[in-house]
Amino acid sequence: MTARQVELTRGDDLWIARFHAMGGPCEVLVDTDQEPLARMLAVRAAECAWRIEHKFSRYRTDNIVARINCARGATVQVDEETAGLLDFADRMHRLSDGAFDITSGVLRRAWNFDGGTRVPTAAEVARLLPLVGWQKAQWVRPVLKLLPDMQIDLGGIGKEYAVDQAAQVLARISELPALVNFGGDLAVSRPRARDRPWRIGVEDVTQADRQRAVKLIDLHSGAIATSGDSHRFVTADGERLPHILDPRSGFPVRGAPRSITVAAPNCTNAGMLTTLAMLRGPGAEAFLEAEGVRHWIQR
Amino acid sequence: MERDQRIGAALAAATCSLLGISSPAPSIAAEPDSKWDVDSAFLFYGESDSRVQDLSLAASAVRDFGDEHRLALEGTIDSLTGASPNGAMATAGAQTFTSPSARGAYSTLPGQVPLDSTFHDMRTALNASWSQPFARLYSVSAGLGFSNEFDYTHIGGNLAMTRDFNERNTTLSIAAAYANDSVKPVGGLHTPLSLMADSVNRDDEEGGTGGSKKKNVLDLLFGVTQVLGRHGVLRVNYSYSDETGYLTDPYKILSVVDPVTGDLVSRTPPPGAEGPLGLYRYESRPDTRRKQALYAELRQDFSGKVLQLAYRYAKDDWQVDSQTLEARLHLPWGESNYFEPHVRYYKQTAASFYRYSLADTIPLPEFASADARLAALDTYTVGLKFAHTMADGSEWSARLELYDQKAKAPVQNLIGNQVGNTKMPDFNAVILQFGYHFKL
Repeated sequence: MTARQVELTRGDDLWIARFHAMGGPCEVLVDTDQEPLARMLAVRAAECAWRIEHKFSRYRTDNIVARINCARGATVQVDEETAGLLDFADRMHRLSDGAFDITSGVLRRAWNFDGGTRVPTAAEVARLLPLVGWQKAQWVRPVLKLLPDMQIDLGGIGKEYAVDQAAQVLARISELPALVNFGGDLAVSRPRARDRPWRIGVEDVTQADRQRAVKLIDLHSGAIATSGDSHRFVTADGERLPHILDPRSGFPVRGAPRSITVAAPNCTNAGMLTTLAMLRGPGAEAFLEAEGVRHWIQR
Repeated sequence: MERDQRIGAALAAATCSLLGISSPAPSIAAEPDSKWDVDSAFLFYGESDSRVQDLSLAASAVRDFGDEHRLALEGTIDSLTGASPNGAMATAGAQTFTSPSARGAYSTLPGQVPLDSTFHDMRTALNASWSQPFARLYSVSAGLGFSNEFDYTHIGGNLAMTRDFNERNTTLSIAAAYANDSVKPVGGLHTPLSLMADSVNRDDEEGGTGGSKKKNVLDLLFGVTQVLGRHGVLRVNYSYSDETGYLTDPYKILSVVDPVTGDLVSRTPPPGAEGPLGLYRYESRPDTRRKQALYAELRQDFSGKVLQLAYRYAKDDWQVDSQTLEARLHLPWGESNYFEPHVRYYKQTAASFYRYSLADTIPLPEFASADARLAALDTYTVGLKFAHTMADGSEWSARLELYDQKAKAPVQNLIGNQVGNTKMPDFNAVILQFGYHFKL
C-alpha cells in the first residue's frame, strides 16, 4: 500500500495536492495562495477518499462488502451509507434494464482484460451467469440477501461517489473554490471568482502520441467523468474487446467507444451516464445526444 | 436498455437522493473558446568570424474547427546578412574576386578562407495546410507553401494520409510533396565551369548569361508509428527524394591550380579593368540528385521525464552518405517549467565531385564543386531549452544552441603543396530563440 501522504506543490496561483487512493493518483486543486489552508482542505478530501476506499473496496476482508460477499446466502443488515449506495444501484439496474449490475464482478473469473488474447468459451461464461443478476438478490432496505456465491462490487460507482463526497465536504467547510480529481473523475466544490473555469485535459486515447494530444474542457461548475481505459482490453480474432461486460450475456459490449467523457451536475451522475452509454455500444452517441448532456467521445 | 425514453430525470433524482442534496448546481462545461493556437518565435543565428547572421521572425497559428478538422497557417521572415565562403581556397597572398553582381570586386587577406561579404537577403515564407479525419481510421492533410528570396522562388504542395491499425496503437503514414523552385542568380547565370571574368562598369551589362533556372523536388515518405506499452512510442520513416533541374550554387567557384604544385594559377586583368588576380571557375553539379533516408525515433516517458532518441541514415547518388544521432530529454521542473537539453551529431562523406581545387588541365571534369557543405563533414550541436507556463496557459520559452562544423577535404583530392596546408571554412554558430505560445 502506498503511504497515506498528501504532497503539496505550488501552481501559478493555486496549490495542488497529490495523494494516492482508489488505485490511482488523486489531486485536489485549491484556489488560494495560503498553503496551510490548501493543505487542510486537501487532507479532508484525501481522508474522504481513503474512508470510502476502505469501506467499499472489494479487496479487503474487513469491510461491509466483504461481509456481504462472504454471507453465503445469509441476510446482512447494512448501514445507512451502504444502503444509500445499494438503493442507487438498484435504481440503476432497473433504469438500464439490467445492463448496469453490481453483481457482475464474478464474470472477471472468466475474463482477464490484461491486453492478451485469452477469450473464455461460452460454456465457461455460462457457468458463471447463474451468479450474476441483481434481480436475484433480495434487497429490502436495510437488509440484503444474495444467493450463495453471489458477490457485489461497488467499484462502478465508488470512485465517482467519493469525488462527490469530497467536493461536498470542501464546499461545506470552506469558501475557497477547489477541484477534486480522483483518477480523471472530477467535481468542482465551488465556482471560481471572476467566472474563471478549471481547465481540464482529457487524455486523447486515439493518438499514438499521447504525450501532447489532449482535449481541453473548461469546467465552471458541476462534474466530469470519463469511462474507458485504453489499456484494459482483450483481443479476440484481431478485434479488440473492451473491458465493459454486459452482465446479461456475460460477454463484452461490442462496438463501444474507446473513451466517453460526460459533464453533469455531479460526478456520480456523470459517471453513470458514461457507463450506460458504454453499455449501448454503437449506440453510445445517440444515447448521449438524446439525454442532451455535454459529452466527448473518442472511438 | 432497449427502451428509448430518456433516463436523465430519474438518474438525477437517484443521484440527489444518494448524495443527500436537493438540487445540485448545474454543470457548466465547455471547450475553451480560444480557437487559434499561436506559436511565435524570434530567432537569432550567428556564425563565427562575422559570417552569416540570420534574424528570423516566425508565427504559426492552428485553428481547430472541432472533430479534428484543423487549419494551420505559418509565416516566416528571415533577414540574412554576412559573408559566406565562395569556394576558393586560401592562399599565401591576398586574393581579389569579381562580386556576384559583376559590378565590382572584393578582396580577401593572405592566408584567409575567401568569403563573399556581399551576401544579404530577405526571405519570406508562407504555408497553409488543412487536415481532417477521413472514414473511421484515416486522416488526410493537404498543404501549400510559398517562399520568396531575392534570387529564389519556391512553390510547393504536399499531401499526406495516415491510417490507424491495431486499435490505434499502430499508425501508417504516407506523404508526398512536390516543389517547383526557380533560381534567378544576381549577376545572371554562368556557364558551368566557365572562368570568373572581370567586373563590368555599365549597369545594363551582366557578367553571366542571364535568365533563370528551374528546380523540381519530389519527396515521398512512408512511416510507421508504434505505441510501445504505456510509455513508449517508436517511429520509423523511410523517405525518398528526387531533385531535378538546376542544383548548382550560382555563386560558388573553385580555385584553378597548377596540376603539380597545387598553387593558384595567377592572372592579370587587362589594363584599366578590375577583376580576379587568379583563375577561378564557376562550379558545376549534376542536374539530378536522388536521396534515400531511414529515420528511427524512440520516445520513452519515465514518469514525466521524456527521453527522445533519434538516428537517421541517408545516402544519395552524389555519394553523400550521412548519419545523424540525436538525443533530447524533457525534464519538468516544478509545476509550470521544463528544461530540455539536446545533443546532436552529424557526419557525412564528401560528394563524388567535391574538390578542394581544380587542376589546370584539359579536359575539365563534367562536375566539380568546392562547396564545403559537400565535403566530408562533422557537426556537433548542444543546446538547452527552458520553458515556463503562465497561469493563463500561455508558454514562454528560450533556447540556446551551439553548433560546430568541421569539414575535411579527401586527401586524394589534394595537389602538391596543398597536402598538409588545407584550410577549410570551418565555423561555429550560436542559435538563440525566444518563443511565446498562446491561445486566441
